[in-house]
Amino acid sequence: MITKVVSVARWEYLEKVKSKAFLIGLFLTPILMVGLGVVPTLLITRADTRTKIIGVIDPSGAIVTPLADLVQARYRLADGSPNYVIRPLAVGPAADVQSAAAEADRETGSGEIEGYCLLGPAAEADSAVEYRSKSVGDIQLVENLQQAIRIVLSERKGLSMGLDMSVIRALNVKVDMKQVKLSKTGEKEDSGFLQVFFTAYVFLFMLFLLIVTSGQLLVRSILEEKSNRIVEVLVSSCSSTELMAGKVLGLSALGFTQMGFWGLIGVIASLSFGVVLVTPGIAALLVVYFVLGYLFYAAVFIGAGSPLTTEQEAQQVTSYLVMVLVVPIALAFPAMQNPDATWLRVLTFIPFLTPTMMALRIPIQMPSLWEILATILLMVVSIFIAMVAAGRIFRIAILSTGKSPKLAEIFRWAKEG
Amino acid sequence: MLKVTDLRKEFAAVVAVDGVSFEAGNGEVFGLIGPNGAGKTTTIRMILNILVPDGGTVTYDGRGFSDEVRNHIGYLPEERGLYRKSKLLDTIVYFAGLRGMKRAAAKTEALRWLGRFSLEAYRDRKVEELSKGNQQKVQFICAIIHDPSIVILDEPFSGLDPVNQIVFKDIFHELRAAGKTVIFSTHQMDQAEKLSDTLCLINRGRVVLGGTVRDVKRRYGTNSLHVEFSGDGAFMSALPGVRRALLYANAAELELETGATIQTMIGAMNGRIAITKFELVEPSLQSIFIQTVGDSNAAAPPAEAA
Repeated sequence: MITKVVSVARWEYLEKVKSKAFLIGLFLTPILMVGLGVVPTLLITRADTRTKIIGVIDPSGAIVTPLADLVQARYRLADGSPNYVIRPLAVGPAADVQSAAAEADRETGSGEIEGYCLLGPAAEADSAVEYRSKSVGDIQLVENLQQAIRIVLSERKGLSMGLDMSVIRALNVKVDMKQVKLSKTGEKEDSGFLQVFFTAYVFLFMLFLLIVTSGQLLVRSILEEKSNRIVEVLVSSCSSTELMAGKVLGLSALGFTQMGFWGLIGVIASLSFGVVLVTPGIAALLVVYFVLGYLFYAAVFIGAGSPLTTEQEAQQVTSYLVMVLVVPIALAFPAMQNPDATWLRVLTFIPFLTPTMMALRIPIQMPSLWEILATILLMVVSIFIAMVAAGRIFRIAILSTGKSPKLAEIFRWAKEG
Repeated sequence: MLKVTDLRKEFAAVVAVDGVSFEAGNGEVFGLIGPNGAGKTTTIRMILNILVPDGGTVTYDGRGFSDEVRNHIGYLPEERGLYRKSKLLDTIVYFAGLRGMKRAAAKTEALRWLGRFSLEAYRDRKVEELSKGNQQKVQFICAIIHDPSIVILDEPFSGLDPVNQIVFKDIFHELRAAGKTVIFSTHQMDQAEKLSDTLCLINRGRVVLGGTVRDVKRRYGTNSLHVEFSGDGAFMSALPGVRRALLYANAAELELETGATIQTMIGAMNGRIAITKFELVEPSLQSIFIQTVGDSNAAAPPAEAA
């Protein structure tokens, strides 16, 4: 009994581990993770290394000079040279704003200047300011420029209201808001929004790819066995229970290989960049949900995949399951804004969503102990039920060729065996 | 030894196998013959426990089916049955392992068989890179590598060239000499006639003829005329005294009515064709097959089934 299960498991593992689909997923996923998650974050928050020239069109004629002084004094590069240089493009009421703007557009396009500010005509009014550039995503620059303009404007306003310059300076309090994440017990965790979001996203995406990759491999191999009549040889050699147990075991080994490899990359990355996404405790809990989710979906893919007879049907069924798996990814944003929401809890208790919802929730805010224990128990029971049902479907469906059975028929197999 | 008793299987509205019984002894090559869709493959699947019979029993060397029995059965499916993307040696070792063989022993045996079929050079090639005939050989190795006592081969000769057919036939004889029970199905009567000791003709799910090849032919008596000739022999089927004619390009097998004599036949043919051989023989299995099956199926051709 056991030796045949091991034979099947070994075969399933070795044949799939060598397949292109698996290898691509194995190496591409971390690259994608880095590409999608880390690089944009780094680009956004990275300090400039060269001086950027910013044009200013100032019809009031009163802003550009103090702004240039302020920016020069306030923002410096690491080597001490100014971060931004303000270049007056058109100053004063006489200036032809339109042709200056057209010229500035050209200069921005050619990269001569980084971008330019179009100020309002009245210096004292609460003015609308436009910043035009090729890259509107340069959050740091926009924020700095905005702050500098606000300071200049409020200084002018203050002076016109007869305030002393020292008073105005004192009123210009600089607030640098740093986000601190609190856990349930009130402990501080020093991680910003981006990091939390990125962490939740990484784990969710990893679990998603883990399940989808092996699920597809599994369905495809069952399909080949059915269409090539290999299944006749298999089922006459060992029982369908042994066959399915072997497949689940081989697939699990495949999943662990993938997880281990990614985990290793994660550890190396965090050691070399000093970025720690999660504590070892959280990582261990995530692994528990990964394993539970993986086993549950292995059963689901066997049950859903074994009645299929064509590649098209297989793609269809896989894409339905992918949709279910994608749900928590779509919920990532609202979940971050309100991690205590009841609807999040409710969704977590749907077995199809439990592992992915937990992968999303745990990095954001640790769910309470009872939720963790209850969902683990729920998953264990669900896996048991899914395996029994999948086994019943598998035993009958694997030999059926020609037309795929109807859904009602499959449910009857699952119930009655 | 394999004993099948009153096996039955129904699909939806069709009775695929209807009370089939036969017995294949040790050291015996048993031919399961019948037209396409007769129920041969369904019968074989029930013997292999791939399908559960609706009625009847199968015993293997006197015992019922069990996990232990699986390891003593070898099976060659009708078509394909190999992983296309996998390597030859890996595939054989895997299938041998599923029949309970240890990996080391399986590898040694696999290499020996690959050598015998002149496939050693392909041991690390993928199955899909092989010709159909070579794939069939690999499949055959998978069926017999674990030294089974009962070997079941579904249409083993389809897709084989004459040279390889001889290789297969030699192995048939070896298996028989080693006391194995060899069961093979075919719809090619000349093969069944040459290879099998015992046979069983199935038509529409029922056994219509069974016994040793000798017995079966004796039952039909020596009333067949075998003629070889050159010329146009089409007229022969309409000759008086000929009940039925099997016409080939340069030969004919004529089933004679009682009372028809050789003299009248020769007289009727003389001058119309150039006779090179003229012989009164037992009917061929092909002719018996057509006599038994042909008429009943002519009215309603059987549905094609896998």
